[in-house]
Amino acid sequence: MFTLQLVIAGVAVGSVYALIALGIVLIYKCSGVVNFAQGGYAMLGAFFTYALAQAGLHPALGLLIAVVLMGAVGALTQILILRPMLKAPVVAVMMVTLGILITFRAVCLFIWGPDQLAFPQLFPAGVIELGGIFMTYNYIAAVLLSSVLCAAFLAFYRYTPLGLMQRCTADNTRAALAIGIDVSRQVTIAWVASAMLAGLGGALLASLNGLSVNLSNIGLVAFPVIVLGGMTSLVGAVVGGVVLGVLQALTDGMLTPAIERVLREYTEIYSVGALQQVIPYALLVLVLLVRPQGIFGTRESERV
Amino acid sequence: MTLRQILILLAVAACILLLLPGLGRYSAYIVYVVAIASIGALALNLLIGYCGQISFAHGGLLGVGAYAAGNFGNAGQDMVVALAGAGFVTALISVMIGLPALRLRGLYFAIATLAAQFILEYLFRLLEPLTHGVSGLLIEPAPFLGFGVSTDRGYAAVSIILLVLSLIGVSRLLRTDLGRRFILIRDSEMVARGMGINVARTKFWAFAISGFLAGIAGGLLAFTTRIAAPEAFEIALSVDYVAMIIVGGLGSLPGAVIGAFFVVLLPEVVQRLGEYFNAATQTSAIREMIFGLLIILFMIYEPRGLNSLASRLWRRWRGAGTKPAKTPSGAMDLRPSSEPAE
Repeated sequence: MFTLQLVIAGVAVGSVYALIALGIVLIYKCSGVVNFAQGGYAMLGAFFTYALAQAGLHPALGLLIAVVLMGAVGALTQILILRPMLKAPVVAVMMVTLGILITFRAVCLFIWGPDQLAFPQLFPAGVIELGGIFMTYNYIAAVLLSSVLCAAFLAFYRYTPLGLMQRCTADNTRAALAIGIDVSRQVTIAWVASAMLAGLGGALLASLNGLSVNLSNIGLVAFPVIVLGGMTSLVGAVVGGVVLGVLQALTDGMLTPAIERVLREYTEIYSVGALQQVIPYALLVLVLLVRPQGIFGTRESERV
Repeated sequence: MTLRQILILLAVAACILLLLPGLGRYSAYIVYVVAIASIGALALNLLIGYCGQISFAHGGLLGVGAYAAGNFGNAGQDMVVALAGAGFVTALISVMIGLPALRLRGLYFAIATLAAQFILEYLFRLLEPLTHGVSGLLIEPAPFLGFGVSTDRGYAAVSIILLVLSLIGVSRLLRTDLGRRFILIRDSEMVARGMGINVARTKFWAFAISGFLAGIAGGLLAFTTRIAAPEAFEIALSVDYVAMIIVGGLGSLPGAVIGAFFVVLLPEVVQRLGEYFNAATQTSAIREMIFGLLIILFMIYEPRGLNSLASRLWRRWRGAGTKPAKTPSGAMDLRPSSEPAE
């Protein structure tokens, strides 16, 4: 029963990971840019929601406006920063997204300070008991909202004309240009969608775990997620997110106490610390070594 | 590096060493902080700028060097022995981090090093017998070849000497077969393989040498700050070092020093400005903001780094400004990252 409880908590957090990872995959597919700043967008979305709720808006309405604002932020970053960098080396592009992350963090630190803030109640407080398993409304809402959004987003990508253009851009930029798709607009759209997803994910995560600048670290957790799922697979990002969330919850709840018991018996180490934060990375190295293209990814061929 | 350049370098170093006794404590502090960062940046530039293996685990590697040197020093070893030991230990860890590079390339490898960085951070906290966990390892001052150097000026002298040695060493290395193989692997791993180069062995040496230098930089950091604590070697440090070599110029030896100068002095300058404008309370946030914005602006306007900017200005000043400047020899071939897939 305890295990099931952990799995459910893991699925809730994991589905939010999936939202954030989706955005990274979207941008990478479309423009080959690895967005290290995704966690920054998540944090910014959560802080926007917080600020709007502080200003007296209903939290849900605040969240909606914050998500729209995040779309604007995404568009602005792409147009102002990434577009002039089309011809820059890969390292420079990685670095610029890290620069964006540092700047966002610093701005939030400047305005809201380093302390943990009480995030407004997005959903009514309450608990459901189902056969001995307790679920707060918060967790249920996070799971429902993220899974509906992920599904809607995948459907959009698959069935709408805009989604088709997005896929075409991601598949072959030159061919897309040749048949008259405005590639740089498609890339901007990818950034808008990605920033909105991240903003929403950030707000959901803050409603589960509270809000502070450290929320931006989530962007780095998203990397194991997408490597696990394969950098180029949207479905992979979703599956990877949930798997990782569950894995973290199980590590925290079961593996850590077990290891600590053994260590205390035989060594002088009393605590293994935040093992659940390292597990994703250990898994990442393993996956990369065994199956570098991820579980759902496709292998890219290279030419001289 | 030609003989003439080496002589100029030695002359500059000698001048700094001669001026040291006249410098105040603060200036001496700046000298050794920049020199140590330069050694670290040089190590990273060897890996990223010359061998093309993007690594975000360098902060962690400096940490390995710091803890190793600290433990050797506390065991009563001379600083030279401790630093060399730290170099070898770090080279070993660096090679382990480099293992995935045998199968992975570019972006995927960069993400693997990110993972290595986090795992190292975790181990620094976990392995208490070696690292003293979160409270940090206190480090006793150690003599350098028998001389007591535990003053700011002493550290500055040691750091400058080691920096000069590393600069000459790396520039010599780049002229050997091995160094040229690094550059070929950076430019095209497939071509290198086609020419019969043992890519795995070449990468092994790149990681080993880069790790050795990083270990020395980390060890110096440990001896000068007298403490090695986990929060000093987090991902932010890795980002700082990558920033240094990009700001200075990928694949450029002077670039490593220029970049280190820039990234190390920036916080100092902002600190002074903050004190001047009585805004000291928010300085850390403002410092981060300026750092982030500068990185962004830099990447947009000068992705080839200050070194390339300097040589372009130099050419223009010499009257050759009408022609577009050539990339300095050895500088990274900057292929567009978003080249559409063939």
